[in-house]
Amino acid sequence: MNQTDKPLFLSIVVPIYNEVENVPILYQKICEALEKVNRPAEMILVDDGSKDGTRDVLRRLAEKDPRLRVILFRKNFGQSAAMSAGFRVSKGEFVIAMDGDLQNDPTDIPKLIRKAEEGYDVVSGWRRYRQDKWLMRKLPSKIANKLICSVTDVRLHDTGCSLKLFRRDVVNGIRLYGELHRFLPALARVEGASIAEVEVNHHARKFGKSKYNITRTFRVIMDLSSLNLFLKYLRNPMHFFGAIGVILSGFALLGTVIFLFTHPESGSAESNVLATLLFLIWILGFQFLSFGFVASLIVRTGNRRGQSLAVHQYKN
Amino acid sequence: MKDQILSVSLIVLLDHAEERISSLYENIVRHLEATEKSFELIFVDDGSRDKTYALLQEISQKDARVRVIRMRARFGEAAAFDAGLKNSRGEKVLFITERVRVNVSQLSNLLSALNESCDFVVGRRYPRRDSMLNRWVSRWFNGLVNRISKLDLQDINSGVFAAKRSVFESLPTYGDLFNFLPVLAAQQGYKLTEVDIEQMPGTFRTSRYFSEYIRRLLDIVTVFFLTRYSKKPIHFMGFLGMIFFFSGLIIELYLFVYRIFQFGPIAGRPLLILGALLLIIGIQMVSIGLLGEMIIFTHAGEIEEYNIEEILN
Repeated sequence: MNQTDKPLFLSIVVPIYNEVENVPILYQKICEALEKVNRPAEMILVDDGSKDGTRDVLRRLAEKDPRLRVILFRKNFGQSAAMSAGFRVSKGEFVIAMDGDLQNDPTDIPKLIRKAEEGYDVVSGWRRYRQDKWLMRKLPSKIANKLICSVTDVRLHDTGCSLKLFRRDVVNGIRLYGELHRFLPALARVEGASIAEVEVNHHARKFGKSKYNITRTFRVIMDLSSLNLFLKYLRNPMHFFGAIGVILSGFALLGTVIFLFTHPESGSAESNVLATLLFLIWILGFQFLSFGFVASLIVRTGNRRGQSLAVHQYKN
Repeated sequence: MKDQILSVSLIVLLDHAEERISSLYENIVRHLEATEKSFELIFVDDGSRDKTYALLQEISQKDARVRVIRMRARFGEAAAFDAGLKNSRGEKVLFITERVRVNVSQLSNLLSALNESCDFVVGRRYPRRDSMLNRWVSRWFNGLVNRISKLDLQDINSGVFAAKRSVFESLPTYGDLFNFLPVLAAQQGYKLTEVDIEQMPGTFRTSRYFSEYIRRLLDIVTVFFLTRYSKKPIHFMGFLGMIFFFSGLIIELYLFVYRIFQFGPIAGRPLLILGALLLIIGIQMVSIGLLGEMIIFTHAGEIEEYNIEEILN
């Protein structure tokens, strides 16, 4: 894993899944881009358990080029896992992530680096002229982007663009899991990173099939709402859940007192309904309180993530 | 001694086996000597109170290839295997539980099945000799586990399996999940096969307790979470919770409208309480899902959700 410990300027991480036609072209294009950058760099291609011969192509390429590192997964673990593995292995001061389907253009790499050298920690691509179907790809992406922007305080036109640059500290400070790669800028933002955006090219898919499907919208929404909670209340979940619990319990207590005074006898129709309602509020109130309590325990016992970033002292 | 690499480690779990131990030892050694270059035998005595340990000591004094581990009390298969594994050195690890009485002459079939295209071999007890009830329960259990985990194995926790040592480096070999090592291995991308191994005639313990069946059922729930939602609890709990919550909400809204427009009284209606119950269950499930998510989020640094086969350059 660490054959040389000398730091590199740039690492390019590309997750790849069943892209046998695209890989050689991708490799060629990245090589050209690296020549333009002309600094010590490495290329990390992560094969996410392809079954179409991509692995053999990667093996052949890796034999010829020492700058190319290839990670072969045992099976398909998902794009986020692939990125995470690539990030872990990478050694560059700047790390660029991009898709392996050639819809992102490696010629944009120098542009991203120039922007980052102005002093940004994260540079995201903006596919201004996107070459995809409107209904199936662009619209969901736009909605998701709106949601992400409204939930977090990241102002980007296109958070869904895979072509992104991260500074070393951002990569080290943030661990990805599940489908969190979608929200990387937001996560980085919480840790205090500065974010910029540059326009990038976007091409229609020439070879292979898209791995996108619309059913994951539900999951993205779920992730987004839980992420929202985490980002806002990660430091102190009691402030949120506990507050709801206190309000509900107080409400229930007040209601019960009033109820007992106004309905001293049992049996009236109205009192049944009111009693059920109060019952519900009591339970929910205590539930939220205990939820906040357990949540704060979890947060406190969890390992402190991203402390390296919070210090924010890497602007030279 | 420690650094010497052996080709096979055979770990045998024993539990009150004083009568069968010497013949078992002789059988194993005879067959392994015939097929394997080098091997070691690790007997793990899981807290037996009979003469098992004394007999094992005798054997180990005579034979340098035999190691004996004695558990302080009965800790179960998972702990015994873990202890055996930690004290083993073979490239291939073979585990058998003495009580299932497999034909040891067929163990080499399991070992030879471990090759380039197979990392984990599950021994399938066939033909089986234990009770009809055991077989029937086992069939249902395996059927359910297969359906959930999308594997195709007839006998998942037969108590006999073999695997390359590297497999265990990324699998938890202790605790409840031990029963599902094949499922975990498949999830990590290791390749599995099943090899038939004959069960010898004898008397077998049958499950006498109802609780054992309950535990089996719970195990199946474990597999379900393990294979589908271990990294994203909110996707499952949130989804279920939403269904409960919204059905409760719809019921209460219906009753509200019903009352407001004077269609009749709602106080005596059980539907009112059902609605409240569904609301509570819904919120509760979403909250638990969120807690799960929080646990994973705060421990994201320790989660390794991929398994690298090879790194080139």
